[in-house]
Amino acid sequence: MTGAGGEPVRVRLWDPLLRVYHWLLAFFVIAAWLLGQFGPLNMTLHFWCGYIVGGLLVFRLVWGLGGPRPARFTHFVTGPRKVIAYGRGIFRREPSHWPGHNPLGALSVIAMLLVLVAQVVTGLISDPDDFINVGPLAGQVSRATSTAAVGWHNLGTWLILILVLLHVGMILYYRFWKREDLVRPMITGWKMVRRED
Amino acid sequence: MRLILAAAILLTPVAALAQDDAQRDALKARQGYMTAVATNMGPLAAMAKGDLDYDEALATFHARNLAALGNYEVEMHFLPGTAQGEVEGSHALPAAWQNLDDVRAKHNDFTAAAAAAPEGVKGGREQVAAVVQSLGGTCKACHDQYRAK
Repeated sequence: MTGAGGEPVRVRLWDPLLRVYHWLLAFFVIAAWLLGQFGPLNMTLHFWCGYIVGGLLVFRLVWGLGGPRPARFTHFVTGPRKVIAYGRGIFRREPSHWPGHNPLGALSVIAMLLVLVAQVVTGLISDPDDFINVGPLAGQVSRATSTAAVGWHNLGTWLILILVLLHVGMILYYRFWKREDLVRPMITGWKMVRRED
Repeated sequence: MRLILAAAILLTPVAALAQDDAQRDALKARQGYMTAVATNMGPLAAMAKGDLDYDEALATFHARNLAALGNYEVEMHFLPGTAQGEVEGSHALPAAWQNLDDVRAKHNDFTAAAAAAPEGVKGGREQVAAVVQSLGGTCKACHDQYRAK
């Protein structure tokens, strides 16, 4: 993926499984969120969405360790210096042409993954005292923990909302301020990227 | 006059203490009521899940207790000053007192579901499951809005 003279080149950045994973995750997180807030009192569908999200997160973990390069954690998890260096150019009105998750966006990716893992775990061990929507693993932890998990799960709801709005907001910012379409690469896989160091 | 004043000053803390007692008692009664409901729901939920073998006599026993509890006017224990933050150990949100009519309506839903329980649980595991669903839904409807998470 070498571009002559630092010119961006068109590469197949995101592999098919990662793209499918991304859109499934988006769909089931939104579905679980809406069902949790506005769904029926019987939360069976919300539970199923949660199990699917859990499965998708397991895939992402495996893919982050042994998947194609742009999907790997080692490829996008960086230290504060790189984040700051990247952040300096955030207001510049030009595409990043970043070959993957940029250092700043990586923080958001990690935050979303961690919050979603926590959300799945707290959901599994929640006992909301209604006898019908008890997490399947609530019996494996103490009563105090399964009660507290309901509170953590509720807190997670708002963290997820904030992170998702931030994610969508930044996509729009890149699209309209930096004139870089980040959605299409997540659909087709193809992205204009600068030469990788 | 001086005597009355002295008595009033002396008795003020006592009156305040008595007030606290009333609120603590209301909280205890309220939470005791919830525990009583939960204790009778437990075996039915276990039967619905299959953790406990279906037993019509046992299911009817708990369902009848729930029907009795459904008829109890628990609203009397929603004393002002017993919300979360007002009395230690309370998890009831202040919103409950701003919408007491709604709390009452939601408890009426529980009353209706519980009244149908003794007949409803007859027949087998699936019947119990349906009863637990309808009862549990009324728990959740109120907890979602009026119990601290």
